[in-house]
Amino acid sequence: MTQFRSRRRGGVYAALPPYAATLIVDLTRQLIELLSDGEAIEPVGSDPLEAMLDFAAPREVPEDPALRRLLPSAAPDDEDVAAEFRRFTERSLREAKVADAAVVLSSLGEVAEGDTDDIEFELDAEAARSWMRCLTDLRLTLAERLGVTAEDEDFWEGLPPDDTRLPVYEIYGWLGYLLESLIDAVRR
Amino acid sequence: MRPVSATPETTTVERPEADEAVLLEVPWITLVWDDPVNLMSYVAFVFTDYFGYSKSKASKLMLQVHNEGKAVVSTGSREEMERDVQAMHGYGLWATLQKSDT
Repeated sequence: MTQFRSRRRGGVYAALPPYAATLIVDLTRQLIELLSDGEAIEPVGSDPLEAMLDFAAPREVPEDPALRRLLPSAAPDDEDVAAEFRRFTERSLREAKVADAAVVLSSLGEVAEGDTDDIEFELDAEAARSWMRCLTDLRLTLAERLGVTAEDEDFWEGLPPDDTRLPVYEIYGWLGYLLESLIDAVRR
Repeated sequence: MRPVSATPETTTVERPEADEAVLLEVPWITLVWDDPVNLMSYVAFVFTDYFGYSKSKASKLMLQVHNEGKAVVSTGSREEMERDVQAMHGYGLWATLQKSDT
């Protein structure tokens, strides 16, 4: 079943079963928490001078491997370039990712327990891109937690049914399927 | 009241490396690296969507990332490349910047 269908002017129509919407809301909230970890995501103030003088701007590589994948080094072979990049961009990158996640949460709205009807919503071209970026961030985070590597599908698909990693891998695969469906709908 | 200084004060902080790159016209490049997670269709979509590349150019670059492990996706000043790398990280692609070898 296709979850996303194309609409006029690059817009997309979507219908998700309540359990799927609930799962995305849950994962997206966790992603926001991860991105907010140890970091004030609110800017210090609107004053540009104050922002420039904020010496708390990050220079260090995050410790959490998932966070390190979401906010990777921009120059692994050049510490100075990497540190300067992180100092100037990491906060706004975190904010942009949180903003994308907020778009996802707001398009799903409140999913009430016991809902049986599909959650339907429309995305304009901009919101569809926020969804793509957020689905990607969720996939990157799950892959990091699982330890997904290149061409290891056989390993994951061969896991015994009682392996606790199996449901997580299935969610990871399903998010990839959703993303593919969204890309198709936007391209049409 | 503060007296007027005879010598003008510097009011802006320059970023010497970036200025030097512009003056000497040493270009910087943005590289996108292969990763085990991102879908090929998504990587190609990002190249058309963000850089405005044609479908065939985007798909060629995506295949280069996939087959060779990396591809140069843009060239320009250091500031421009920082902007591109930041955008790629926003899309979840693994991108880096460096001075061009050539």
